[in-house]
Amino acid sequence: MAIGLASVVMQLVLVREFLAQFQGNEFTIALIFFSWLILGGMGAWLALLAIRRRPAGLTRLALLSLLLAAFAAMEILAIRTLRDIIFLHGADVGFYPTMAAIFGLTAPYGILNGFLVPYSLYVLRNQQTDYPGARIYMQDNVGDIIGGVLFSFVLVLWLTPLQSVFAANLPLLAAAFLLIPGGQRVRPAFLLALAGSVAMLLAGLLLEKQSLTPFEGRLIHYEESRYGRITVHQDRELLTIFVDGAPIFSNQNVSQDEETIHFPLSQIDDPHAVLLIGAEGGMLQEAAKYRPDQVDYLEIDRQLTDVQLRYKLLEPLPGLHIIHQDGRAFLAKTDRLYDAIIINLPEPNTFQINRFFTAEFFRLARQHLQPDGIFAFSVAGFDNYLSEPARLKISSLFNTARLHFQHVLSLPGNKVYFLCCNQPLNPDIPALLNNRGINTTFISSFFSGNITPERLQYLRDNLQADTPVNLDTSPFLLRIMFQQWFARFATSPLPFIVAGFMLLTIYLCRCRREELVLFSTGFVIMGSETLVIFIYQILFGYVYEQIGLLVTVFLAGLLPGAWLGEQLRRRRNFKKTLALCDTFLILLLAFLLLALTSAHDQLQPVFFLLFGFTVSLLCGCQFPLALTLGGGDNPAAARTFSSDLIGAACGTLITSLLFIPFLGILWATVGLVLIKVFGMCALAPLLLPDAAGNDSQSGPR
Amino acid sequence: MKPIDRRTFLCLSAALLAQSGTAHAEFWPFPGDRHEISGEEDIRGTIFKNDAPKTLWKWHKEGFSYQKLEEGKVMCNICPNRCLLAPGDRSVCRSKVNMGGTLYSLAYGNPCAVHLDPVEKKPLFHFKPGTTAFSIAATGCNFRCLNCQNWEISQVKPHEVRHEEMFPAAVAQKAREAGAASIAYTYSEATTYFEYMIDTARLATDAGLNNLWISNGYINKEPLLALCKVINAANVNLKSFDDAIYRKLNGGRLQPVLDTFRTMHEQGIHFEMTTLVVPGYIDDAEMIKKMCGWIVTNLGPDHPLHFLRFFPNYKLTRLPPTPVSTLDNFRKLAMAEGIRYVYLGNLPDHPGSNTYCHQCGQLLIERRGYQMPVSNLEGNQCKFCRTTIPGVWL
Repeated sequence: MAIGLASVVMQLVLVREFLAQFQGNEFTIALIFFSWLILGGMGAWLALLAIRRRPAGLTRLALLSLLLAAFAAMEILAIRTLRDIIFLHGADVGFYPTMAAIFGLTAPYGILNGFLVPYSLYVLRNQQTDYPGARIYMQDNVGDIIGGVLFSFVLVLWLTPLQSVFAANLPLLAAAFLLIPGGQRVRPAFLLALAGSVAMLLAGLLLEKQSLTPFEGRLIHYEESRYGRITVHQDRELLTIFVDGAPIFSNQNVSQDEETIHFPLSQIDDPHAVLLIGAEGGMLQEAAKYRPDQVDYLEIDRQLTDVQLRYKLLEPLPGLHIIHQDGRAFLAKTDRLYDAIIINLPEPNTFQINRFFTAEFFRLARQHLQPDGIFAFSVAGFDNYLSEPARLKISSLFNTARLHFQHVLSLPGNKVYFLCCNQPLNPDIPALLNNRGINTTFISSFFSGNITPERLQYLRDNLQADTPVNLDTSPFLLRIMFQQWFARFATSPLPFIVAGFMLLTIYLCRCRREELVLFSTGFVIMGSETLVIFIYQILFGYVYEQIGLLVTVFLAGLLPGAWLGEQLRRRRNFKKTLALCDTFLILLLAFLLLALTSAHDQLQPVFFLLFGFTVSLLCGCQFPLALTLGGGDNPAAARTFSSDLIGAACGTLITSLLFIPFLGILWATVGLVLIKVFGMCALAPLLLPDAAGNDSQSGPR
Repeated sequence: MKPIDRRTFLCLSAALLAQSGTAHAEFWPFPGDRHEISGEEDIRGTIFKNDAPKTLWKWHKEGFSYQKLEEGKVMCNICPNRCLLAPGDRSVCRSKVNMGGTLYSLAYGNPCAVHLDPVEKKPLFHFKPGTTAFSIAATGCNFRCLNCQNWEISQVKPHEVRHEEMFPAAVAQKAREAGAASIAYTYSEATTYFEYMIDTARLATDAGLNNLWISNGYINKEPLLALCKVINAANVNLKSFDDAIYRKLNGGRLQPVLDTFRTMHEQGIHFEMTTLVVPGYIDDAEMIKKMCGWIVTNLGPDHPLHFLRFFPNYKLTRLPPTPVSTLDNFRKLAMAEGIRYVYLGNLPDHPGSNTYCHQCGQLLIERRGYQMPVSNLEGNQCKFCRTTIPGVWL
């Protein structure tokens, strides 16, 4: 249980750490979970090899637990340090180096963690030979749930990553201490190991800030918000706010401030009410030149705006309202109408950000605009040549915007700005500003040379009318963002896909039938969780507590499920129960599909919570049943643990990187159904009459 | 498990606890200039083995300068990379291939970017201000700069982009039609489409147009001397004054670039230099001072130097922009070293983009972006003190 608690906290801390040190896109997130689960599977397999050489023992379990605790702090410090030694400071890292770094840096902890769960079972079985494997699974789940809830609702709000790791490992240290028989606790070797673990965890606490110090300038502020890591770097007079390692706001960014605000606001007569989703102080100052009555600034992260205010990167203005809410959730609920809605968000390379660039969101924005109001957004553009991925991205956005606005003007440059309105738009922005007597420094000086009629025409000529639009249910833009990322590093995901497919085929060919069932179960639970979080954000916006709750229910069902499975495995027809669980899972996914196609507007949060709980309940129930089917001995336990973890790894990776971006939500759900059908087919021969009488026998390969 | 004695235990425990208890900034193992230990030391490109197309396409030309070697190998002599290519190989810059023992450029008459830009955008501040440059680029670069603005065309092969067909005569004709005073070979690295550039430049000269070479300066002396005969001005990057940084951030070497400056200076070409000030790498005042000293000693005080503000780009997206005061300081430092015309770029509305007479200090040209509301030049002289201002003026 202590291992489960510590490891879940570590997993969540690692996600934040890797996102802050590497690229914050879906690839990184998927690779972290994938590596974690694969390494766990490898650890479980190594545990089996280990006990063949030497029987599992309490002392070794205690010492390995201490090592696990020590690894936690060391690994986080290693990520921070090695990131800038192996890779160039300030530079992005491509897919394969990111994958290697995540896998390599996660390996010591991930393997040991995967090793310890089955190893604990072997230790217990040395004392009680018929100790049920599922009980360890349940205890690990209890720890997972406690760890998940503790991190999401307590630790992340109050503690830094290394403090969280320290706190989460205290129960493990205590458990390791208690594992050792009374008389041996004072033996120097054990005390030394304990002191070593504590020292490593303490060292982590003391080196927290030093390990985040930038090469250039000074780190003058550091805090962790529930949404990411906020740091403020000062280099001479320049203050830059970094969120998850990427520079977001600075106090010397005149060009972007002016373009973001004046390109749209110069087009409308008298902007009274303006909504900004994401902004820096300079933008508000520029907006103030129009003397609007009301400027609503939406920023989901309260801590981020507090930091902006504290360092004067945001200054209070008359009529300014700072609203801490998800932009989509806010617009879905408010009745307010605006003269201008301006989006200033990072590139749409995550599910969370992509929601602000879809047809559905554009429609929502349109509904909250005055009849002659303007909607504006921007994405990374080009200097002199529009590459193919950029062309597809810009064409898709243009076509998407055209669905809801009669006039869409795209302005080329390092950032491409889209102005959307139902009134005609004028690209001569300096002239518009001149007419209104609004002074600018960048636009008035540089616009004429940067956005020439020839460059405007170049962009217009390159827009493709047949490029698919970006939809909530089929995020075309994410595919393009992935392409762009690979193009930037001149790599292709193909070698990874081919190698992964081959390894997976070999693995699946070697699996026993009950392992295939668990593989598909692991796949479906992680796939469903990814899918449901994606859908939930689209429908209800990103509300931290609710997403946390959703993740928790996907864990919470496993425990009662495993308990139920443990009761049912004693029944003679438990194989049929296993098949029944598969059938329910398929029906449940089909029900989700039906609900999404017929009534997605009416779906309530409770539907997804119930769905998550039921899916995890059924998946949890299958574990003891499959374990019993495999024979229940130590090798079977190791194999079932591994297959569950490897299935979960594949589910995370394939659903987030392949199913959702390339197939869309509905077909992704169908994909999960097919995976479970595959698992059920693997089970089918065992349900035949001649196999039905041998309930305790391991299934054939 | 073998017990250890009490003394060993106490010593080891004390050492471990001391390690955690006293760990603070001084104990952090990577203080100071950490960029030296960060990342790969050398990102220079390598040739692409067996990557040449099966047949030549329409847009090709035999290499301007190369050696034929045994076994059908060739060595390109355009830039210091001196790519040694076996038949079927492609050069570091991606534009040259060895086809049957002959070196061909595949970037000839196929520009992928064609725009009409203010000459100040290159940046060239002392060359016919207020005129426009018909700017073209084919693909390719002999560097691998991590902050490249034009990586979509500089880090790809010719067949990987959409291009127009525009052979040299057509370039000159279109430039004239556009009313440009010059043709600029720019955006990607013009040296890699040398054959296209020099043929176009010859025709452009005949047509009364100027030729502007916008480059990283990574070129060998022989082709450079040929180029100097047809170009009227150049802006060449001096990316840093540290070979290690050249190798780490740009995938090139410093010395050949310095040689290029010397040659151009000897040939009497008007050129301006550009240094992008990347925080954490190229913001060391000592290095800049050394660089300016070298410029004054070897090239004299008259070649304008531009310091550009860095913004996150391409692969360098996790760095902050350059503080304005760093650029201000560098400008002062360069002028104190003796460089007469030092400009700051990527900064709107900053006096560092104006031209002041090096003799009397009066404002000669006020620049607001690409506009020049004030000009106190008469011909090539300061209106106030009649000092000749270096450059090519209208």
